[in-house]
Amino acid sequence: MTGTGAAGRTGWVGLAVVLVAAVVAPFVFTDFFVAVILTKSLWLGIAAASLIFLSAYGGMVSLAQVGIYGVAGMAFANLVAADGGSAAAWSPWAATIVAIVLAVAVGLAFGAIAARSVGIYFLMITLAFSVLVYYFFSQVTSLGGFGGVNDVDLPGLVGRPGGDPTRLYFVTLVVAVAVFLALRYASRTPFGLALQGLRDEPDRMRALGFDVTRHRILAFGLAAFVAALAGVLSVWYNRRITPGSINLAQTIDVLIIAVIGGLYRLEGAWVGAITYALLDNYSREWTPTVGNVLGAERFNTILGIVFLVIVLASPGGLVGLWDQARDRIARRRRRPPGASVPAPAESPITTRT
Amino acid sequence: MAALVVVVAVFLVVKATEDLRQFAVVSLNGITLAALFFVVASGFTLIFGLMRVVNMAHGSLYLLGGYLALQMQESWFKQDSGLGLSLSGNGDAEYDLVGWLVPLLLAVIIIGVLGVILQQVFLRWNQGQDLRQALITIALSVIFADQMLAAFGGISKDIKTPTSWPESITLPGEVRFGFFRGVVVLGAALLIGLGLWWLIRRTRFGKIVRAGVDDRDMVSALGINVQLVFAGAFFLGAMLAGLGGVLGGTMIALAPGEDTSFLLNSLIVVIIGGMGSLGGAAIGALALGLVDAYADVYLVFGDTDLTNYSILVTFGLLVGVLAVRPHGLFGRPA
Amino acid sequence: MALFGAVVALGLAGCGGSDDDKGGGGGGSTKTQSDSGGGSGGGGTIKVGFLSDCEGAFGSFFEPTASGFNQALIDKAGAKPAGKKPTDGVTGATVGGKKIEIVGYGCADDTADKAIEETRRLMEQEDADVLVGPLSGDEGIAVANYAKEHPDKTFINGIAGAQDSTLKVRAPNFFRYHPDGAQWSAGLGDYAYNDLGWKKAAIIGDDYSFPYTSLAGFVAEYCAIGGNITKRIWAPLGEKDYSSFISQIPDDVDGIYVGIGGSGLINFVKQYRQQKGELDTKRMMGNVFWDDPLVLKEVGSSLVGGTTAAMTAGDSTDPEVKAYLGRLEESYGKELAGLGPSVFTYGYYTAGQALVKGLEEVGGDVSDQKKLQDALANLTLAGDEAPYGDVKLDENHQAISNIFVKKIVKDANGDGVPDVQTFRRIPDVDQTFGGFFSPDSPAVDRNNPKCEKSDQPPPWVGKAEKVSYGG
Repeated sequence: MTGTGAAGRTGWVGLAVVLVAAVVAPFVFTDFFVAVILTKSLWLGIAAASLIFLSAYGGMVSLAQVGIYGVAGMAFANLVAADGGSAAAWSPWAATIVAIVLAVAVGLAFGAIAARSVGIYFLMITLAFSVLVYYFFSQVTSLGGFGGVNDVDLPGLVGRPGGDPTRLYFVTLVVAVAVFLALRYASRTPFGLALQGLRDEPDRMRALGFDVTRHRILAFGLAAFVAALAGVLSVWYNRRITPGSINLAQTIDVLIIAVIGGLYRLEGAWVGAITYALLDNYSREWTPTVGNVLGAERFNTILGIVFLVIVLASPGGLVGLWDQARDRIARRRRRPPGASVPAPAESPITTRT
Repeated sequence: MAALVVVVAVFLVVKATEDLRQFAVVSLNGITLAALFFVVASGFTLIFGLMRVVNMAHGSLYLLGGYLALQMQESWFKQDSGLGLSLSGNGDAEYDLVGWLVPLLLAVIIIGVLGVILQQVFLRWNQGQDLRQALITIALSVIFADQMLAAFGGISKDIKTPTSWPESITLPGEVRFGFFRGVVVLGAALLIGLGLWWLIRRTRFGKIVRAGVDDRDMVSALGINVQLVFAGAFFLGAMLAGLGGVLGGTMIALAPGEDTSFLLNSLIVVIIGGMGSLGGAAIGALALGLVDAYADVYLVFGDTDLTNYSILVTFGLLVGVLAVRPHGLFGRPA
Repeated sequence: MALFGAVVALGLAGCGGSDDDKGGGGGGSTKTQSDSGGGSGGGGTIKVGFLSDCEGAFGSFFEPTASGFNQALIDKAGAKPAGKKPTDGVTGATVGGKKIEIVGYGCADDTADKAIEETRRLMEQEDADVLVGPLSGDEGIAVANYAKEHPDKTFINGIAGAQDSTLKVRAPNFFRYHPDGAQWSAGLGDYAYNDLGWKKAAIIGDDYSFPYTSLAGFVAEYCAIGGNITKRIWAPLGEKDYSSFISQIPDDVDGIYVGIGGSGLINFVKQYRQQKGELDTKRMMGNVFWDDPLVLKEVGSSLVGGTTAAMTAGDSTDPEVKAYLGRLEESYGKELAGLGPSVFTYGYYTAGQALVKGLEEVGGDVSDQKKLQDALANLTLAGDEAPYGDVKLDENHQAISNIFVKKIVKDANGDGVPDVQTFRRIPDVDQTFGGFFSPDSPAVDRNNPKCEKSDQPPPWVGKAEKVSYGG
């Protein structure tokens, strides 16, 4: 699905199968599962997709995505009626639009500063941005401060609190599918193709007359838009946002989701997100207790180990593992080479500076 | 840019004349904070300069160094009921100089060895894949943070200074300042700065490191055992993180979250100063420390108290430097 | 492992898949297996979740808060401690023939996020009927808002003292049986202005909801009778390095009110002494933390001479107080019983007392939580249920109770820890300060309430009762 997009019909069939399953899910699972596992993975996946888009097509691993979604979420929470923050009591839809515009503007500004750097510098600068956003919102008390914004007013579309969680689930599902299709489409436009050219051969593209930095900034803006959607959805999901929702731990969690899923395939975002959500909720039950070192409380250790193993074993994440497995099966059946989906020439995870 | 610097300088002069004593104390706060930042960031930048490894577990080594020293100090002197009924984790116990110095030395050496182990196990075989190395060290920092929480608890603790040391010193003009902070930490940072300068400029190790920063491939082509130098650099860099942890744990406190906060400080210091440059780390640390201290105090205009926007000043510093010099003040393109 | 192996395989079944959602399912995740609705379910068990802090600035209060809550069950519900540590739980707690089960001792870290995460785990995954907690200001506001969204569950505050959680949020199923942070400061403004003669004062505190509340109580009273606040200094919560903020304390004020809590206070005292020599306690007052037994143990000698106030009196010789401390010692030993006068232990103790009393009134039936909530709203704690003074609730479910004003004095009983000397009792302190605070008044924050003289000072000004336990 990247670049060459050779999957063709099987890809669409796969998407349709997953979609049908997703639509049926709320009628099978409990409300708790639909909300805490499925809905949460959908919006976390959108956040991770913005990271993966930049990394897969632009060769930029950005840790600023949580900062940007924090700007969107905090802006939304402050603009509607709420407990805490500036509680401007706008209509939730107007607030949604303004929050997204604001987050994209901040994203473009971040991009303008960071896009001149590449590789590891880019990662460090974007990490600093994200953490500065966290400090900003935890210290500026008129925007909620340390306690954040509670009891946020939401659009009628997503239903009452404590009510049926399936409405928010379907809203999030629609956004997630739209984001997936739009980003995939974007990667095939001339803009997207040029971006991939910049990723692989920046000097040659520069020689061809491309404005490399501007292209990168625009890509960053597009990813900021996607991250902003995730930010607003996260507030719709939690009905509240505090600086703790956008701290460094969350930044790293979204990175972990992207890496677990696979840094060079968009669908990896949601694979990573659901893996994360399931681990988060159910690892407590099967984690053996080993003194102080392992146990129900040590979720972050489990997560760190899964992350470490994936980085060590499969730079392409779970999606990469799947591709490898399928390649092997394909080879065993002596299919002609090229029938499988080729991975990008160089995965971003091994990019050298 | 220059105009902005002038405006800030004039503003500070005006504030200084309003209350000179306060200005002196705030400046000392900033400088001593910078000293601590420098100790930690110098290790970070050293490792990067030579090996192009961004060690995201640097903050974990900082915090672990502090906790190890604390653990050693406590286990010799203190009894505990196991209920965790202590706000600082360390009651009124008294310690002599040995009770501070020995834990410091041992903790620093242990952290240095740990650094080498991490490098040999996780980073040696994938040299050059800097992004992958960063991700590996992020994973390690997640595991470290959780394990430290399990082992040392979530409560803020501090390492006690020797009882024989004075609490504070008085400078001319009745400026009172903490002894440990003003003398020990500042002195340690100066010694380390000079020591590193000597090491880099005057020793064979330093020559190899400098050559390695300029051209790694050439150095290995010359038949020098680069792996040994790399291990040595990692040992030194990790040791500095551990030392920072002991100093910081005594000067301020040890708590979950201090690991990431010092990783971030190191990042900002080297982004400002330039990756791989020791002089840059010193300038970057000074800039960050002073900006932090001044912004906490002087962002008050009449009745409008903007001190809680101080993070924007730090952000402005970062953006300002990057806008003019994308690789930091003393940095070079990789 | 099998679970998410299956999940991942399914997720990847279509290689172009855009999202998740798996058929595998997990224990309890499908609709047929369990109903996620509230209620006590079968077996007649009342499920209670406990929420406090084991990390962050107040992490040291984890066991003390648990000891207070457990002690109420031991006193009134026939429970026995299950272990030496209070968080080991209790056994055999029953009320009205129904078993009380503590589904977990939740551990937060004074951030709202962690508190909500733990609340969700206790209330949704463990399916508790009642939550007792949390500990700290912002957590309290978040949990009160959570309560509003879950009317079919009941919430009794632990010791979180932010004013907003009852005054502004006003969730019908959230109850607080202890005074809030502002009430805890009652009597101090009067004492500062009229007895100590402070004309100008500064305040310093951590930058979040509890110190706002705590300092607001002082400002409201002190300014109403003529005092003037010339400087307000706020340090971000979690700040470990207070030196920049200490250097901002003006020299030309008559007094300072310090609203820094938990482990921050230890750092503050340490750094203040480094920067200014000794703590000038003659011109200092502190909020509820100053005479907390844990704080006294560690930096008490620096605090001698300071004035503070709260709902407990460490030196009380009242027989009901002595009995309470004796029972606590019997259950959990001397060290934890020594923390009995801490508001943290005592706040959770009264919460537990209210819970048992409320449950008794509905015969242990939590299938209709509305009944339990009505019972809780109307009950009064008295006698051995509230040894430091009777508690009743106002219409916002907020306690009205008495407050003690105290001084920290040199150690006289020979334990090496400074003592507390209570000298005033302020009766019937209510949350509104006689109407000054209301749901419509600006929320307390960095700049509010404003410092203004008023012809309607809090009703208790000048009406404090003299108290002396020392003999």
